[in-house]
Amino acid sequence: MSAPARKPRKLRTFSAFGDVRKMPSEYEIVTHAQNWNTRAGRLSAFEQNPSSPMNLWFLTYREHSPLQVDDWDGFRDPDQISYRSYVHLQADEQTKLDGMLDSYGEAGAADALTPEQVTRLGALFTPSRYLVHGMQLVEAYIGYMGPSSYITSAAGYANADFLRRVTMTAYRTRELQLAHPDSGIGTQERGLWEQHPAWQPAREAIERALVAYDFGEAFTALNLVLGPTLDDLLIRQLGEASKANGDELTWLLCDVLAEDSNRRNRWSGALATHCLTSRPENEAPLRKWIDRWSARADAAVEALAPLLGAPTADVVAGAQAAREKFHAGLFQTAAEAV
Amino acid sequence: MTLLKREEWQDFVRDVDWTLSYVDEEAAFPEWFSGTGKVPREAWLKWEEDYKVSYQEYVYTQREKETSTYAVKAALSRSTTFDHLDEGWKSSTKMHFGGVAQVEYTAVLAELKMARFGLNGAWRNMATFGQLDELRHNALTTYFGHEFVVKDPQYDWTQKAYTTNDWVPISLRTLFDGIMTTSNVVDCALQVPLAFETGFTNLQFVALSADALESGDINFANMISSIQTDEARHSQQGVATLEILVEHDPVRAQWVIDKGFWGSARAFAALTGPSMDYYTPVEHRKQSYREFMEEWIVDQFVRTIEDYGLKKPWFWDEFMRGLDTWHHSLHMGMWWWRPTLWWKPKAGVSKDERDWLREKYPNWETVYGDKWDVIIDNINNNNVEATLPETLPYLCSTCHLPCCNPTQSRDGSWRIRNKSLSYSGRTYHFCSNGCRQIWWKDRDNVNHQTLVDRFLAGAIQPMTVEGILGYMGMTPEVMGDDPDYTAWTKDYVGREATGLVQVGGAS
Repeated sequence: MSAPARKPRKLRTFSAFGDVRKMPSEYEIVTHAQNWNTRAGRLSAFEQNPSSPMNLWFLTYREHSPLQVDDWDGFRDPDQISYRSYVHLQADEQTKLDGMLDSYGEAGAADALTPEQVTRLGALFTPSRYLVHGMQLVEAYIGYMGPSSYITSAAGYANADFLRRVTMTAYRTRELQLAHPDSGIGTQERGLWEQHPAWQPAREAIERALVAYDFGEAFTALNLVLGPTLDDLLIRQLGEASKANGDELTWLLCDVLAEDSNRRNRWSGALATHCLTSRPENEAPLRKWIDRWSARADAAVEALAPLLGAPTADVVAGAQAAREKFHAGLFQTAAEAV
Repeated sequence: MTLLKREEWQDFVRDVDWTLSYVDEEAAFPEWFSGTGKVPREAWLKWEEDYKVSYQEYVYTQREKETSTYAVKAALSRSTTFDHLDEGWKSSTKMHFGGVAQVEYTAVLAELKMARFGLNGAWRNMATFGQLDELRHNALTTYFGHEFVVKDPQYDWTQKAYTTNDWVPISLRTLFDGIMTTSNVVDCALQVPLAFETGFTNLQFVALSADALESGDINFANMISSIQTDEARHSQQGVATLEILVEHDPVRAQWVIDKGFWGSARAFAALTGPSMDYYTPVEHRKQSYREFMEEWIVDQFVRTIEDYGLKKPWFWDEFMRGLDTWHHSLHMGMWWWRPTLWWKPKAGVSKDERDWLREKYPNWETVYGDKWDVIIDNINNNNVEATLPETLPYLCSTCHLPCCNPTQSRDGSWRIRNKSLSYSGRTYHFCSNGCRQIWWKDRDNVNHQTLVDRFLAGAIQPMTVEGILGYMGMTPEVMGDDPDYTAWTKDYVGREATGLVQVGGAS
């Protein structure tokens, strides 16, 4: 063969972006098409025997998922979170959170809680670390299976946000235990989570979500249904009930946690919209999974409602409304776009 | 501040396992992913990382690191350092960006898998920090490589390399899909954090960082040394897992680590060996590849595994002998097949450079000198064409690198030996006994087509060098070539030529 000809052509960015008029953002540069097992033209997900166990796993649960899009890399996180922006954002948020814990700790806020509020926190808040850990695991799976690095990265940050929530819950558990050593806080959580009737539907929902191995179903189960529904109870409604009962710290902390949930809802909604606009046939599996998991989410909220100390019907209606508003938004956006 | 200390509350973060009852344990933690094997499930309750970290500590520390790394990058982006870097060194960075950036992303997948299927809550939490770390490493490597795309299209392969069927990414995808993405979490913790990260990444990161500083590439040194500071945190998953596995199933622990070590050693011979011993200007080399391997890999690795009652791998002698040959052969092969590379491989065999090679590798001249002399004489006789590839080499069915490891016969001569095996009516070829043994044990899993198999099966059309380059995604403006033939051939101008080769025929 002849020596390679050299005809330099000026690139402004990675050729993967095509002939772009606008430079991609830092988020896009570091997130675009990074996962080689989703590359175009692959013979199998992995560079090994096409019938190896993991090739078959990915074939079954990702490539053959009912949720299909031609261009998964067309999805963008509306918040454009990349590693650099993530640690800056969360270090700032953590500074606020530490400030709150510090100020209220110094003021002895935990000692001043009413017995009713201590009971509420010990029944509904501190045991939730098991549930949130379960969510952390499902989110990790969504990231692992993600059909685009845009999805995997978003799920990676959401996975870390759940660890953040478990961490904050753990801190508060210890603080409340020190202030109220006879309350059972700090010792009874696992028992409540595994045995108390109020927690069983929630535990069943998250255990079943752990084995929902289809990528589309795992994403729908956690990010479109269980997350938005249970967060309404465990973050918004708990925050409001705490405020009404003189527990400002819990109310403020719930506000901080709500930011993580809202951010997850934003990208999950955008991903669902991307699926619906790219391929309208995706509506059927999404609706099927939403119905299946909504029933489990509602059962979980209904059983937990008495622990909040508010009328069950109101609690369930509030959580359902939050979820339905979220879903209406994404189906509507998709309908308008098509 | 009167915040509670981490030690007061961290057990609540770590203690998040519960007894499943709505689904089977085996369904939620399938053996394919969790790989507990002979280890009783309850044994994993003892899993413990030495060095604890909380979420808040993580984000505070990492914000500082990110701020400082990007500040250095921003400051240096106004300098003209890049324009004055040696082409050989630039090739080391191109190889690194393209070869490493998406391996970091595959490590994200490995960590996410452990964050989901790890057999203890504390392990899964640590893997969550691990996936964040790997997202960082992928982003830094990609973003730093991207900066140079405008100056040189070969940097486009920072993102592109692994989207292609070039032989380098095929080989590395085979290795990393195997140890990172598709292994069960126990094997993964032993092969990735333990064998790969605590051992081999030192080689690429510490050695290359030193060479970068010597070569004046502060920006690159800044990036990779910052990346290396994250490894200690998530790589502890390796030892914590090994401690438990070795107690219940030492045979498996030995095999899995051996295999991870071997695969990593093959890849690094291709990735780091040529950078250290050929591309980095001779006056900037801190240590030879062999010296670095002995200090950072051999001593440390053996110490680590012996601490846990394991032995040196079965292939140890073959591996140690390979320190004198593997990367030299791969370098020559890569230089020969240079149109398939996204960097400019410099041959690096001028008289001074050969003096250095002979000093570091006493057998170098015997094994490689005469081959390079033939190449040099052809170039000095305006016969560069004869030094370009016309066909494909045998590729190893395990590591997918060329079969080019010479060994010494009893009569003192050095030869590449045929190491093959027949299975199911086919003959498979291997570069070494180690690769052959691993393939045989894992044959159901690893058995897939090498680039040569694909070529012979007609998957690559047309069946010419041009067809092969097209299949590899190689484009003319990126195709590698020697950056400066004169630099290493001028010492030999005028001598009597041996072995001039006629293109397209026998010599």
